[in-house]
Amino acid sequence: MTAIQHVFTESLPDLIDASEYSRYPEGALVRLRISVTDAGVEILGDGLRPELIERVLAAIGDGPMEQMLCG
Amino acid sequence: VTGDTEPRWRAAMFGEPAGAGRVRCTLCPFRCVLGDGQVGVCRVRRNEAGALRTATYTAAVTHLTAIERKPFYHVRPGARVLTVAGPGCSFRCDYCINSRLSQYGRDDDAPWLGEPARPAELAARAAAAGALLGMSYSEPSLAPELTLDLAAQGLPVVWKSNGFVAPAAIKVLAPALLAVNIDVKAADEAAHRHLTGASLAPVWRAIEEFRAAGVWVEISTPLIPGTCAEPEALRAIARRISSIDANIPWHLLRFTPDYRMRNADPTSPAALGQARDFGHEAGLRFVYVERALGAEGRNTSCPGCDAQIVNRGIWRMVQNVIRDGRCPECGYAIPGRWGER
Repeated sequence: MTAIQHVFTESLPDLIDASEYSRYPEGALVRLRISVTDAGVEILGDGLRPELIERVLAAIGDGPMEQMLCG
Repeated sequence: VTGDTEPRWRAAMFGEPAGAGRVRCTLCPFRCVLGDGQVGVCRVRRNEAGALRTATYTAAVTHLTAIERKPFYHVRPGARVLTVAGPGCSFRCDYCINSRLSQYGRDDDAPWLGEPARPAELAARAAAAGALLGMSYSEPSLAPELTLDLAAQGLPVVWKSNGFVAPAAIKVLAPALLAVNIDVKAADEAAHRHLTGASLAPVWRAIEEFRAAGVWVEISTPLIPGTCAEPEALRAIARRISSIDANIPWHLLRFTPDYRMRNADPTSPAALGQARDFGHEAGLRFVYVERALGAEGRNTSCPGCDAQIVNRGIWRMVQNVIRDGRCPECGYAIPGRWGER
């Protein structure tokens, strides 16, 4: 399996609103948006546990994975 | 930025001879004594033939974002910041969301990234966007040489830092900095050492030293389970901040399970609300929660008359009615850096 390339990006859209936090106290929420773009298929993931999003995205394909940084 | 796969080393400040070809790095409180070829605890400063060298004059990331994202809430609301970051950190926090950048030299998942920073180009890009310059994401205090060269371009510079900086270095760097947001991640030494690998006392000292040198300071506390998310720890941190100055803004950050702390749960909104209450009980006038409590967690109210003076959205300013640093309703002087330096 090819190693996933991680890319730091300035901004990504939110798919989860803060008002939903209390409904998922253990953080078991991942939301995905799949779009067809001129460049191919783009999958946007949002979640309360980054590891879960990354596992889902890695299982789908080995394209570059963008992530935002904290701070 | 993609760039190099190996660091490019250049002459570093804060090195002194330590005998027999060794060099002592005096930048941070670790005060590493390095034999030839050895790197410090930070992994990005080393002894090369008896001279201290640094890999931190590097731009791996250059992002233009809102100043509220650092977070700074009392520094030029609505301003944008061109943030520059290279790999490296003096801490090894188990929860670090930025570990792929910060933990270079410790983790295989954090390869070298970036290319030599070009301060004039970065400043020109920031100026064209009407932005300040910032250093964040990894540990900016490990890059004093780049900080000074960025400041020399004439734009204000801000840091988001772990505060683990030696007082002598702060004296040199403070004139180059408009503001610093410092993480306080624990209430006691043992918990701080367990989480970060470093002592807590120098962080508190740095907060006082920066303030004494005229740098605006805000404090952030991520609610890390087992370290500082518990009520007594939060109360202790709030009391300590208040004892320094009740006007210091305190940002309470939601813990996200990641890196080596994937088993814990994310911080609940109720816990953040409780932590905010602890801050107010300790006398702090400005306590903020960025998302989980909605807009009221982000807004600034005047301590004099309770009028809302800054309204914020997520990572953005919506309205700021502060004029000449004062509340327009009652004239109360609102602490911060609101306008030109």
